[in-house]
Amino acid sequence: MNEEQKKAYKKKYKEAKQEGVRFWPHIIYKDLLMSFAIFLLLVGLATFVGIPLEPKADPSDSSYIPRPEWYFLFLFEFLKFIPGQLEWVGTVVIPGLAIVALFLLPFYDKSQVRFWKKRKIGISIMGVIVLAMVGLTVRAVATTPEMEETTVASSVREQVVQGEDLYSVHCVECHGPDGEGGEIQGVEGLEGVTVKSISSRDEMYTRSDETLAAITNYGQQDLGMPPYGLAYGGPLTKAEIEAIVAFMRYTWDDRIELPPEAVIATLPAWEEGFVPSYEVEISRIVKRNCFSCHRPGKDDNNNYLMGSYEEILTTGDNVENNLIPGDLNSYVYQTITGNPILDPDTGEVLIHQMPLTKLMKEDYIKMFEAWILNDMPETVEEAEALMATPTPTPEPTTEEATEEPATEPTITPEG
Amino acid sequence: MENAFKWLDERLGLNEIYAEVLDRQVPKVNWWFTLGSASLFLAIMQGVTGIFLTIYYVPSPDHAYDSINYIMNGVQFGWLIRGIHHWGASLLVVTVFIHLLRVFFYGAYKYPREFTWVTGVVLFLLTLGMGFTGYLLPWNQRSFWATMVGTEIAGTAPGVGGFILRVLRGGTDLSAVTLARFFSMHIWILPAVAMLTVGTHLYLVIRLGISHIPGEDE
Ligand code: HEC
Ligand code: HEC
Ligand code: HEM
Repeated sequence: MNEEQKKAYKKKYKEAKQEGVRFWPHIIYKDLLMSFAIFLLLVGLATFVGIPLEPKADPSDSSYIPRPEWYFLFLFEFLKFIPGQLEWVGTVVIPGLAIVALFLLPFYDKSQVRFWKKRKIGISIMGVIVLAMVGLTVRAVATTPEMEETTVASSVREQVVQGEDLYSVHCVECHGPDGEGGEIQGVEGLEGVTVKSISSRDEMYTRSDETLAAITNYGQQDLGMPPYGLAYGGPLTKAEIEAIVAFMRYTWDDRIELPPEAVIATLPAWEEGFVPSYEVEISRIVKRNCFSCHRPGKDDNNNYLMGSYEEILTTGDNVENNLIPGDLNSYVYQTITGNPILDPDTGEVLIHQMPLTKLMKEDYIKMFEAWILNDMPETVEEAEALMATPTPTPEPTTEEATEEPATEPTITPEG
Repeated sequence: MENAFKWLDERLGLNEIYAEVLDRQVPKVNWWFTLGSASLFLAIMQGVTGIFLTIYYVPSPDHAYDSINYIMNGVQFGWLIRGIHHWGASLLVVTVFIHLLRVFFYGAYKYPREFTWVTGVVLFLLTLGMGFTGYLLPWNQRSFWATMVGTEIAGTAPGVGGFILRVLRGGTDLSAVTLARFFSMHIWILPAVAMLTVGTHLYLVIRLGISHIPGEDE
């Protein structure tokens, strides 16, 4: 550029300034208004959109689909168009050249033309690049598969609840609903093996969280405990294992108290006249005591699934007998009170007591009794409506039902 | 009061600063010209909220995730501070990029503002670098795997790729060392460089005056 051009520009600029305004207050006012608008937008986004919850980093879970920050997505998508052996061209050469081109722009574009209509080529190139970036970003968003729903515990409470659920599914069949251990029944390969309690003081005082997580992750393979961590071929992510450990620690370790806001309501003790609902009481009892055997993927449970209200009423080889409204001859009630169902002809045990190894505590059995007698209400509202009206008292048939089989010689599973 | 101001002005030159920085004649411009100061505002917000976050944030793989959880649930208004920092980062990239486009569109990178442009490109890259290093810090699945892939991409450079990868990660794997490196890049090194560059950028903008909107004959 020559001195004349410089002079010409300076003259133009001076004229523009003369027709212009004072920076203070005219320009500053606009700037502040813009910044204020952006501030409001930020507070709005932080309040109403928030930040999506993500599970903790888990280096062993390589099934996770990597998602870069959105403004790098276009680069990511761009790489998909580059054949493998030329990858470095897409990752290094092209972005590198683009950056250099951006840096040097004022040095190779030396023309003094500034009005956009006279710089059609330059504006078009930039326009195409920007459109391509936007297009690639949109394409990347549209083509990345939906993330699998992972529940992320954001508080201790949620973590303990999640841990309880996972424990109920994965651990109860060997360790019992309360980690009490005992003889294993109905688990292939470990039939009759006795496991020690994992909820005892001995256990809780001597095993740190890290140890418990490591045991769950790797298992105790020589003793029969399978590995649960993804890294060892199990089904659980690191976050899920941590949730189980949190559940164990907060429920069984008597030195630790749950922070008050995290306490999960424990089931109330049984009281005469109370009508439980599926929603609140029964589902929780079932989850901890029955679900580990009565869930999809377990065979040998007479196809009786107990994951939802629907399932509990409509599945099972003996679906018509499992839960009969108002009738304590229901198989569910009979089995949980320790009365196996016998083949009427041969006297052979068809269905053992439930759960197989140890009956549930008295309160839980009472809950089931009241629930069945009141025709198995699903929601709290239904249950409360029933409580308002006098509950049917156990009738003579009940007595018979509970007593009768007991008089016959029964073969208990332990026997 | 007046005496105190006089005393200070004599030593600090407040009036001169006022005359040079604020009370100057500038061409008439439009709303697109507010994006530079909007970027500056967002950058300052990032700095302020970021400083608050470092009070509770712990840059170690064992505690980073929980410390973020604590900020979100345990600290008064922690969610707001982190929310602003999170969204501010995205918004900053957007405003800086549109600012770049407006400078390009009006040919404002030409004489005499070439060097302003060069410092601007440095700022653009620094903004992206801040985004990249900050993304790892929450140490969640998303950030971990994004960084895994991001550093792998840097590792594909012919010849020096392996070396770059090891420098970024502080080893062959993504580990506690990586987190420590990204953290110090994010809160010390990049911001320090950015502050110097923003200073230069603004000095140049004020010294040369904001460009005017080019007329049809220019
Ligand atoms: C297939 C049966 C089985 C399942 C399912 C199972 N375990 Fe175990 N677990 C064992 C056996 C066997 C041992 C060995 C301890 C023993 O013999 O008493 C054991 C031991 C343990 C120990 C104690 C180790 C020690 O030395 O302190 C813990 C803690 C434990 N398991 C946790 C879990 C958790 C948590 C789950 C659910 C994710 C689970 N287990 C599921 C069979 C099982
Ligand atoms: C340790 C595993 C295990 C647990 C825990 C368990 N069951 Fe079972 N359940 C079985 C098996 C196995 C069968 C198949 C019959 C048999 O072998 O006794 C079965 C069958 C049944 C049946 C008969 C279903 C049909 O349609 O034939 C009922 C009813 C039942 N269980 C109720 C329960 C209830 C209620 C609980 C929880 C209190 C429970 N079970 C807990 C293993 C279990
Ligand atoms: C954190 C990032 C940035 C900040 C805080 C910033 C700040 C500013 C401010 C306050 C102005 C005054 C004029 C206006 O607001 O438009 C300005 C002008 C300018 N900026 Fe930036 N900027 C940043 C990034 C960039 C980038 C990425 C570029 C281009 C590569 C750039 C190039 C320029 C140029 C050339 C001017 C002079 C424009 C003119 O005089 O019309 N800046 N910048």
